[in-house]
Amino acid sequence: MMLHDVEWDACVLEPRHDRELESYVRRELGSVPSAVPYFTASPWLVRSMASLSYYGAPLVYIDYPLADLVGLVVSQDNSCRYCYGVQRTVMRVHGLPEARIRQIEQNFLEAEIDPRTRLALDFARRISRAAPLVTANDADALRAAGWETQAIKELAYQSAYNVFMNRLMTTAAIPIASVERVAEHWALGWLAPVVRLLMRRRWRRGAAAALSPEQRGGPWSYLVCALDGLTAARALRTAIDQMWESPLLSQRAKALVFAVVARGLDSSVGEREAKCLLEATGLSASEIEPILTHLGSPALDPVEAAIVPFARGTIRGRPAQLQQRTRALLERLRPEQIVETVGVCALANALCRLDVVTQLE
Amino acid sequence: MTRAWLIAAGFASVAVALAAALHRSRRSDRRARARLSATAAELERLSHAFARFAPMELVERVIASGVPTSGERKEVTVLFADLFGFTPLSESVDPSVLVRILNGYFERMARAITAHHGHISTLIGDGILALFGALEANPWQTDDALRSALAMRAELASYNVELAAARLPTLRLGVGLHRGSGIAGLVGSPELMQFTVVGTVVNVAARVQALTREHDVDILVTPAVQRALDPRFALRALPARELKGISEPVATFAVLPQAAGLD
Repeated sequence: MMLHDVEWDACVLEPRHDRELESYVRRELGSVPSAVPYFTASPWLVRSMASLSYYGAPLVYIDYPLADLVGLVVSQDNSCRYCYGVQRTVMRVHGLPEARIRQIEQNFLEAEIDPRTRLALDFARRISRAAPLVTANDADALRAAGWETQAIKELAYQSAYNVFMNRLMTTAAIPIASVERVAEHWALGWLAPVVRLLMRRRWRRGAAAALSPEQRGGPWSYLVCALDGLTAARALRTAIDQMWESPLLSQRAKALVFAVVARGLDSSVGEREAKCLLEATGLSASEIEPILTHLGSPALDPVEAAIVPFARGTIRGRPAQLQQRTRALLERLRPEQIVETVGVCALANALCRLDVVTQLE
Repeated sequence: MTRAWLIAAGFASVAVALAAALHRSRRSDRRARARLSATAAELERLSHAFARFAPMELVERVIASGVPTSGERKEVTVLFADLFGFTPLSESVDPSVLVRILNGYFERMARAITAHHGHISTLIGDGILALFGALEANPWQTDDALRSALAMRAELASYNVELAAARLPTLRLGVGLHRGSGIAGLVGSPELMQFTVVGTVVNVAARVQALTREHDVDILVTPAVQRALDPRFALRALPARELKGISEPVATFAVLPQAAGLD
């Protein structure tokens, strides 16, 4: 789909600068993306945007250019104009000719991509689409093409990270004018060699280190442990823990978001984990089931009653639909709760699409 | 000397001719690339437009290897909607006015359906066949379908206010909902294909819609829908009726006005 064809609503969030958080992001990414001020009400979310990226969690098994291509095709598939604009800029900076980017954008199926990379990109897209959820059988073709298990897991994680970023930017309708201006700017070609040099200095090969015993526990540990050996596993552990401890929404509300997204994607392990967490917050199994079956129940408080159907709406859909649903939250939640809800939904959408990594040996 | 000039002039002419030919060839190459690029962009745009009416994977399969002939059995909820008294209306108003009324109606109904995760499979005259759970698996398909029907009821009420204010005839809607298993796939002739569901589930929804006139209600659901619905929805049981093509009489439930927050 072409960048300008995607409907994009006005942002409902107010930007608010936070020097400490922006310094953190600058240290990790080298610059502060224009989206950051819109999410500063939720510190874990801003930190995760940087720490879960390949700058915060360096790649161990796959190449950086492939990770960028994953970002391009997944963002395009999710119609995220913000991430798509960023990814196009990044690829132009790294020297990919405009014609080749256009070829991939316009017709991924026919683009001149080597078969091994095409398989990887197709796998990443299927993880993002989750229609149906990718299983270990879907990785057979990758294995046959010589991809190792850890590389497949890293590929899956990169796809999920892009789902996280796409959902964040799309659901919040982050303004895209500046990003698109840069992606299309004539001077980008001239500046590219310098910017490329700066960016590639941050491309460092991650070291495969095992999780510590403490990092093997906590919410969604089944997923974190399945990614053991990737730097992403540690980053994910930290992001999940910070999200879980964030006071802007109750833990019950956050577990409900995960349970709803898991149900919608048919992620049985994700749903089981979320149900365990819900039971730990005091909800019984007989109370949980009607909520997940009908997305509502008298047992929900007003915030949860707003969040549960909203979470379902983030699983699929066109940006304009997602953005209208976010706008509708304005009447029912405080601004910082909206930011937190958008963040938790984005993380749930990413993690619940990663069942496949628990099935790969 | 003259001969040397002549040879030089000959070489120069050949060089100019070659340069001109090269320039023409490059220009034609650029045009061909631009056309190819525009076609590819159009194809990409179309494939995403089609993805609103068929699963994206199916659209890509069609682009890559032609129309697949196989279908897939799916659990779906079918919504069938029709206008009461449309034929007399079509004979009593000017055709251009009728088209305007109908387009306004379809626009509002489509909004109500897509806002609740449904997709319109077919428009049959003034009738609408909408599917829930056909494009992607949807565990909430039946609640979605009923919310969609309630939104259609609300949209029509506000549209009727507009029509009455413009001194145009108002509309009356009947909606039938049924849930069951059907075969989903691309159906039609090579000239006209559509992604739809076929099977008894569709026929029952259409017959139940027709029953709305007999029971004088606007929304009717079958027991299969009632069992899958959120029990907080207010329904009223109606006596079973024989339906054409169905062996056993079918009981139905009328959908009452709902408590706030459920629609």
